Amino acid sequence: MKTIAKAALVAGLLLGTSLSAHAVERGGTLNYGRYADSLFLEPVLNDANVDIWVLSNLYDTLLLPTDDGKGVQAGLASAWKLADDGLSVTLTLRDGIKFSDGTPITPQDVAWSLKRAAKPDNGEWTFIVGSIGDVTTEGDKTVIVKLKNTDPAILTALTVFNTGIMPQKAFEAAAGTTDAEKAKAFAEHPIGSGPFMLKSWDRGSTMKLVRNPYYWGMGEDGKALPYLDGINFEVIPDDATRILKLNSGELDGAEFIPYSRVDELKSAGNLNMELYPSTRVQYITLNARPQLDGKDNPLSNAKVREAMNYAANKEAIIQIVTHGVGKPMTSYMSSATPLHTGDKPLFPYDLEKAKSLMKEAGFEKGFSTSLLVLAGNQDEIGIATALQQMWGQIGIKLDLQQVDNASRTAQYRAGTFAMREAAWTDDIADPNEITSYFVYSPNIGALHTGWKSEEADKLFETSQKEIDVTKRAADYARIQAIYNAEGPIVPLYETPYPVALSKKVHGFLQIPLGNNIFTKTWLDK
Amino acid sequence: MPLFSYIVRRILQMIPTVVFILIVTFVLIRLLPGDPASAMLGDRARDADVARINASLGLDKPVLVQFFYFVRRIATGDLGDSITLKTPVVQLIAQRLPVTLMLIGMAAVIALLLAVPLAFVAALRREKAADTVIRGTFQVGLSMPVFYIGILLLTVFAANLKWFPVGGYGDTLSSKLYHLFLPALTLALSFAAVLMRNLRTAIIGVINAEYVDFARSKGLRSRVILIRHVLRNALISTITLFGLQIGSLLGGGVITETVFAVPGAGRLMIDSIYGRDYPVLQGLTIALAVLVCLTFLVTDIVQAWLDPRVAR
Amino acid sequence: MSAVSEIPRSKWRLKPGSWPKTLVSGGLILFVSLLLAFFPGWFAPYDPTAFDYNALLKGPSLEHPFGTDSFGRDVLSRVIHAYTIDMQIAVFATTGPFIFGTLVGAFVGYAGGWTEIVFGRIVDAVLTFPFLVLVIAVVSVLGPGLGNMYVAIGVVGWVFYARIVAAEVKVQKRLDYADAGRVMGYTSTRIVFRHLLPNAITPAIVYWMTDMALAILLGSSLGYLGLGAQPPASEWGVQIADGKNYMTTAWWISVFPGISIVLTGLGFSLAGDGVAELLRIRR
Repeated sequence: MKTIAKAALVAGLLLGTSLSAHAVERGGTLNYGRYADSLFLEPVLNDANVDIWVLSNLYDTLLLPTDDGKGVQAGLASAWKLADDGLSVTLTLRDGIKFSDGTPITPQDVAWSLKRAAKPDNGEWTFIVGSIGDVTTEGDKTVIVKLKNTDPAILTALTVFNTGIMPQKAFEAAAGTTDAEKAKAFAEHPIGSGPFMLKSWDRGSTMKLVRNPYYWGMGEDGKALPYLDGINFEVIPDDATRILKLNSGELDGAEFIPYSRVDELKSAGNLNMELYPSTRVQYITLNARPQLDGKDNPLSNAKVREAMNYAANKEAIIQIVTHGVGKPMTSYMSSATPLHTGDKPLFPYDLEKAKSLMKEAGFEKGFSTSLLVLAGNQDEIGIATALQQMWGQIGIKLDLQQVDNASRTAQYRAGTFAMREAAWTDDIADPNEITSYFVYSPNIGALHTGWKSEEADKLFETSQKEIDVTKRAADYARIQAIYNAEGPIVPLYETPYPVALSKKVHGFLQIPLGNNIFTKTWLDK
Repeated sequence: MPLFSYIVRRILQMIPTVVFILIVTFVLIRLLPGDPASAMLGDRARDADVARINASLGLDKPVLVQFFYFVRRIATGDLGDSITLKTPVVQLIAQRLPVTLMLIGMAAVIALLLAVPLAFVAALRREKAADTVIRGTFQVGLSMPVFYIGILLLTVFAANLKWFPVGGYGDTLSSKLYHLFLPALTLALSFAAVLMRNLRTAIIGVINAEYVDFARSKGLRSRVILIRHVLRNALISTITLFGLQIGSLLGGGVITETVFAVPGAGRLMIDSIYGRDYPVLQGLTIALAVLVCLTFLVTDIVQAWLDPRVAR
Repeated sequence: MSAVSEIPRSKWRLKPGSWPKTLVSGGLILFVSLLLAFFPGWFAPYDPTAFDYNALLKGPSLEHPFGTDSFGRDVLSRVIHAYTIDMQIAVFATTGPFIFGTLVGAFVGYAGGWTEIVFGRIVDAVLTFPFLVLVIAVVSVLGPGLGNMYVAIGVVGWVFYARIVAAEVKVQKRLDYADAGRVMGYTSTRIVFRHLLPNAITPAIVYWMTDMALAILLGSSLGYLGLGAQPPASEWGVQIADGKNYMTTAWWISVFPGISIVLTGLGFSLAGDGVAELLRIRR
């Protein structure tokens, strides 16, 4: 008995000390350095990643993404059930949930928010909840989402930022007549359901968030989340300055660390150089139309595209541009996207094969073409310069054109570009978004390239309603096989999100979709 | 008073200039490829969304009609709302322009403090060691790209020595001056270099001229001659240059503002061009045009005061 | 008749053996710069566009005296080849504006009256327009590249010279020798070109030399924004921008082109002082 008691005592002491070594500390304000300021913090009507990645701190959703970004967990809804016929979802709201002004979050607020997000032509993201037909409430805790058709991604959709729950009465009381006007007025002093609230915003300079005292989440210490008193977002567009500020201790964290400095910061004693898995993919888009500028377009020939893929040494580009931080793409979608298939890098470098493919296609002498590069962007310039040299070896003379974003988008949408550089991050933890843009021609003509595969289009349409997971996975495996073999892109690399944090910061997470999650973040004192 | 009527006349002359600039900006930005909606929505934009937003902004109407609506709005003092930021343009300008003005003001003061005394020393010790050192140092300062100087100053004086904060902007007046010192110094280096070159040449030219001997023959002490007569005449062409430099700083401090994370008008302007944010660019260009015209007015008055021969 | 003999003549005849030191040293630097600009292949050890995957980001060494960049390209060769483009920028971006601006300024300064008023408005309009907006607009509409960059710079650049020269000519016009010329019945053109302009042009020439150095710097800023020379062309500004992310880890990528800018700028400014000195000596 004595030995058992002694052992228990020792075990208890050990457990106690190890717990206290990781015990969360409350309070303090985190200073976080961003590369660009948000534009419009409104869940439904925003347009940019700089807004999306911060919105989850202001507005909670019914369901929350899991830490790996692929699954769902309880959010404002504590329970949810998909009906057997897949045409409705019944959600039960938690007890005692409140907005940041103390008013209770009611099923009516939920229904109104979801309907607003699904209203056609109301913002860019309605397609995410495009399957929602109607939303009804039952009692004071139940919400029923009725779908127009089966939607395998509906649960994931309920974690996306545009389904953030907003207070109906406060919004409708805002100045203005149209939804857009009210949204503008409301966004000045937003009242949200998330762990933080907006305290002040000096545009282009500083955004200050403070903790929402009414947030429902519970911390490890049994008290309400978040642990932090507040977050100061500072906008520091220059990468070198942002890192300097982090090193000098004025910032506790900085995002978008240039790849060239990742190794340097990894060995810095006071920092944690984090590389969060992401859904980000970097690629070249090729115009696949038969005619371009009144002339025959060599890029419309699938063999030519294949040759260009084999002639592009992706490992070398990964080394030169990302300094080894990136990895080759194994499909057009990132390996962090659900239903991704493929474990071999696409088109490993093979110059001889590239040359023989060019010959087969009838372009042994090569041809001239151009590539649109984002002006002043060092990563894109690096990729372009490397490709210029690599494709020169199969006779392709590449003319680089640095243009600003709006000019490039104009040519892109008009389909008058020859090639352009591009990057993509998912906004939903499901392959349907990226596939609808890359593969499905009725949407934007497969990245505005004019490429089309009837089989892939049909497979996409069925997969959009397929709730059998195995069948859906098989559909996507086939779509990926088709697109990866002859799609109008040259896939380059996937890269993680490079975030450098002071060693004092714990519990921060950037999920593969890009959202910055500060809910469980705490600072050493 | 001739001075007063001169000022009034010049202010009236400003009006056609500003109007002309407004028209050119209005047309020029609409010539740029792309449009606000697709710039805002980015690569994921679908044609229907873009068309809808552009229509709601009135951008599907002919340029003349758009211009008419715009002018009508200005008459009520309303410069419209930013397309990307969705806040009133007047508010944005009121927040960002004073920052740039303070930055340029500090840069001008630092530049004068550096340029004037050193130009004298260089001119008086012409071809000697001091002259070479001064001109050499300024040459290096002038030739280094702004972002390089900026990062260097930040690394040494802010991050390592911690004498200054690493970029950013403060809340109180003294805090703002403190934050802006390093960026102002960065701008001042090339500003001072240009001024010093010109001033030194002018001083040398004036010293050689006859009337200095004439004045000396009247029995005035050397130092008095130097400062009053020489400086006064030497400043004439330099004042013109000073005004021109301020004018170009007003429109172009964007790289400094980026490196030092200063929320000024330069960055706002670049962002609005890249984002095709028509209302912001139009409003900002008007504001800057008025300021530049006023700067020229002031330098011309100073020049007329310095040199009665040029009096209009 | 003593007034006639005191009318200063044109200053352009050079007396041998009395050239100012600044002109000599400046001229020497410029001569070397032009040599490198016209014949880079004679001096550069490697092809400036050749990658070397085995020598990425290597520091200065015997094989690569200025080190290599992120593609393994030899920095020394790139710096030498950049002389071609950068000297081009210095000359093309400034000469046109200098000539045009000086002529306009001289005319306006002498004519005065309504000409001066209209000119004043034009100058104000051009100078008041935010320069960066104009450059970005021109480059966006016409497309990227050096030629369009010269257009954008030239549209504004001439005005600086015009303003300086106009102010000087105005001052000179009131001096005795000009009145004497008028009394003598010289035509306005003769007065302007042979008597006023040579005196008034000095500040313009000095500014021209500074402007050439400034043009290179402007090209470098535009290269930083991606609006100037396009890859794989070697241009100092583009090279400095390339080295932006490596300032702590591979400082040589930015520093050596930066030194070239300083030296070339020094050359122009010494030459400018020298020319000013030369013209002053003749008085």
